[in-house]
Amino acid sequence: MRDQIDKYIGKLLADRSAIPGAIAIAAQDDVLIAQGSPELAKLAGGTLSRLNSLALVAARPSLPFAEFLIARAGKGETFILPQDTETRTFLHDIPFLRREDLAGDPAPELARLLGSRKGVIVEGVGIIAVGAITVEQAFINYSSVFHSTFVKYLQDLLTDGFKLPGEREAFESFSKQWLKPLSAEGLEFVDAISLDKEEILHEIERVGRYTVERGLVDSFFGNISAAAGDLIYISQTAASLDELKGCIDPVPTDNSSTTGITASSELLAHRKIFEETGARVILHGHPKFAVIMSMLCDKKKECAIKDCWKECPHVRDLGGTPVVAGEIGAGGLAKRVPPVIGASGSAIVYGHGVFTLGRDGFGEAFRTMVEVENFCREEYFRQLETKA
Amino acid sequence: MYGWTGKLLHVDLTSGTCERREIPTEILHAYLGGRGLGVRLMRDYFRLDPFDPQMPLIFAVGPLCGTNSPTAARLACVSRSPLTGTIYDCSAGGRFAWRLKGAGLDVVFVTGKSATPVVLAIDGDRAEILAAGEHWGKGVKETVAALKGRGSVTAIGPAGENGVLFANIMMGEGNSIGRGGLGAVMGGKLLKAVTVQGEGVTGVANRERFDAARADVMRLFRASPVIFGELGIAEYGTPALVDLMAQRRMAPTENFKSTFFALSANYSGPAIRKECGAKKEGCYGCPIQCKKASAKGEPLPEYETVNHFGALNGISDLHAIVRANTLCNELGLDTISAAATLSAFGEARGRFPDPAEVDRLLSDMAFRRGDGELLCQGSRRVAEALGKPGLSMSVKSLELPAYDPRGAYGMALAYVTSNRGGCHLRAYPISHEILRKPVPTDRFSFSGKARIIKIAEDVNAAVDSLVACKFAFFGATLEEYGELLSAVTGVEYCPESLKAIGERIYLTERFYNCANGFRMKDDLLPERFYREPGSAGEGIEIPPLDRARFQEELQKYYRIRGLSPDGTFADASFLEKLP
Repeated sequence: MRDQIDKYIGKLLADRSAIPGAIAIAAQDDVLIAQGSPELAKLAGGTLSRLNSLALVAARPSLPFAEFLIARAGKGETFILPQDTETRTFLHDIPFLRREDLAGDPAPELARLLGSRKGVIVEGVGIIAVGAITVEQAFINYSSVFHSTFVKYLQDLLTDGFKLPGEREAFESFSKQWLKPLSAEGLEFVDAISLDKEEILHEIERVGRYTVERGLVDSFFGNISAAAGDLIYISQTAASLDELKGCIDPVPTDNSSTTGITASSELLAHRKIFEETGARVILHGHPKFAVIMSMLCDKKKECAIKDCWKECPHVRDLGGTPVVAGEIGAGGLAKRVPPVIGASGSAIVYGHGVFTLGRDGFGEAFRTMVEVENFCREEYFRQLETKA
Repeated sequence: MYGWTGKLLHVDLTSGTCERREIPTEILHAYLGGRGLGVRLMRDYFRLDPFDPQMPLIFAVGPLCGTNSPTAARLACVSRSPLTGTIYDCSAGGRFAWRLKGAGLDVVFVTGKSATPVVLAIDGDRAEILAAGEHWGKGVKETVAALKGRGSVTAIGPAGENGVLFANIMMGEGNSIGRGGLGAVMGGKLLKAVTVQGEGVTGVANRERFDAARADVMRLFRASPVIFGELGIAEYGTPALVDLMAQRRMAPTENFKSTFFALSANYSGPAIRKECGAKKEGCYGCPIQCKKASAKGEPLPEYETVNHFGALNGISDLHAIVRANTLCNELGLDTISAAATLSAFGEARGRFPDPAEVDRLLSDMAFRRGDGELLCQGSRRVAEALGKPGLSMSVKSLELPAYDPRGAYGMALAYVTSNRGGCHLRAYPISHEILRKPVPTDRFSFSGKARIIKIAEDVNAAVDSLVACKFAFFGATLEEYGELLSAVTGVEYCPESLKAIGERIYLTERFYNCANGFRMKDDLLPERFYREPGSAGEGIEIPPLDRARFQEELQKYYRIRGLSPDGTFADASFLEKLP
């Protein structure tokens, strides 16, 4: 258990989602242990001991966006409603506690809220997220809340602008210091991937690590595949893209075996994209600015469709990349992405993420994803500036 | 009241009376329905012998039944198992549960013993006990066909009539109340069948909230590769697991002597689809439709059944396996226990049965003739009678299903902590150890598994009390089902409160078992798993289980549960403190 705690504290530091020195993780087997920042560890342990769950992360996020969302929320509001598909599907909503709600020991109230939801934001404290059966699950839920609040706050800025004292300064600090230039520089790829199983597995594992290291996913989710003759090699469902060794399923294209039942939920989309485009590899990530920009639509006011994320039939455009709606898994994504991705080699799914292709290898797919995200990032800042 | 009807039909077969009674609201709120409610209603009877006329046989639906909550048209049947001696429940789908709720009932509580064979017929507010003379001795199919004019039917076959210790109660649509021999309990009461007709509507307290929660559940189903993935159970049924278990080197083969069967592709999900023209079927209103039927409408076997009539007995002929499944359904035999008992018998005598012999021995079991007189008692008693007790691959006399514990250590622990014996469904660690839901865990590690199994047992006890299907939880969680429950009943529930209810149910069951003499000595895996390796391959080693590490984790589990080192309760008044 302690090795797991150390591992995920390390991941929170590596992805820069939490402030060093303000992280704690608690876990319970037959005894409860809590490690990290003493004050947060006490809170984590006190909360987890009241829950029928295995682990809990309590950490102060490296960005103040969750705090700002609470401060910007109307009086009487008690939760944040994510708009992006991934967090909408798995988190539903994110409750928060204001400072004034924190009289005495906050652990009982936190346990009450975490009895219903996977993560909670506490003003002045941070994000508290629970893992029902593993430490990793608590990390994932922390990361999802971080991602969700990032996306929502930046979305809200485009709509409402800065409203609070210090907000603009904090945002400038984020854009100049936290946000790093995104590129594929320094990364190595096999130019044209062969049919050799070992080479394919090695390349998928390597590209998975790159995707996490360059921040193209939330927590570490997304999926990667390569077509090789009668097989599709695809990352498994719930697999860490930075730890794919042993987590890649070879799936026969004719469905003659069901070992791929553990493959990514997007297997169907990948299969159809391969069929439609003849590409060799597919990369799918959740880069934040692409997710934000995909949800902007200038026709929202006059449009009758309200569930845009799944119902919108239109193909929009972001810098030459088509944007389509569609639910994940067996929902509409697998129908709407394959017909549009071939021309540009990329497609964005409303509020969800980006698919890119490589006709020979992952270098093209990775660089395309970087380009899409960089375009969306630039476009975001351009629109924010215009609004200001 | 929303969700529940608050009504119990009390049937005394000795006196031939049927009476509607009220169920206290606080009991419904505290135990939900299904398994939990049935277990609570056993409080005054759990010490009785399973064949004592006063031993109740309880059919209980849940508060979601009768709504279009996904996978909730189910019931639990609860009693004490004649096979294991433990408290016993089994969840079953079909249409019967829906109709029972439509008849305005949460529970049918059958006690006593009839002097002659009877059928219990429920039609709306009316219930009557009818002579069943002409149906006694008949197979399940014929019985169901003869009674279908009275609505949905649940019936026993010859196995239940003859007291086979692993006799099922069969639902008319091919589902079964299986494993623990509750068909024999029903047969002991001379109750051949229960029919039910009901058109009542289950009220929903908050329709808007319900619709939102239902949409959340469906979204998660669509996001789950196991449920709606193109290789998932909606497409191929549970035989979708055949190829996976072979690849993971944990498919029990030849009475668990090995864990890989080279010919298993003969009965994989795709093979069944191709050979049998499998089409989708399922429980009433279920969106998943995981059950499969042949082109002629014959129910096709589940994963456990194909593996146990296949690899476990060294048989690769799909059509022979399908025939064995059909025969079990017709005779009212549990397929897992029947096949595993044949396998133990086969190893003991040095020869596994061929397909023709399987058919003959299954009939002999059900009618208790020839070798069937011994085989009908299950593998533990068979192996003991043959002087080779180590060949029964069972825990608490319940034959193990098709997940070798050497290939998944949480599964190993869960087999022994299960309150109904060697069952995979109590904690269902295959979900995370193999299928990666909700998140993957290391199948070859015991680390954290005691806590994980405890939590999962609590969750699943709540799920079995809603009553929802466990397959729903390859996608959804108690977060969404808690919302559904709150919306239906108007009573607030959340994952944590549901887990607390699950814990209450689980500990009640364990208390009953301990009161009947169960303790750590019974929380045992067969010796084979500590001494013999499974089949290595594809870079996977399947070593024997580490006994010391296993025992260490079991002791952790006891501590987490608040039990003594012997796995028992320090507080003899434990039950008195519960609602």
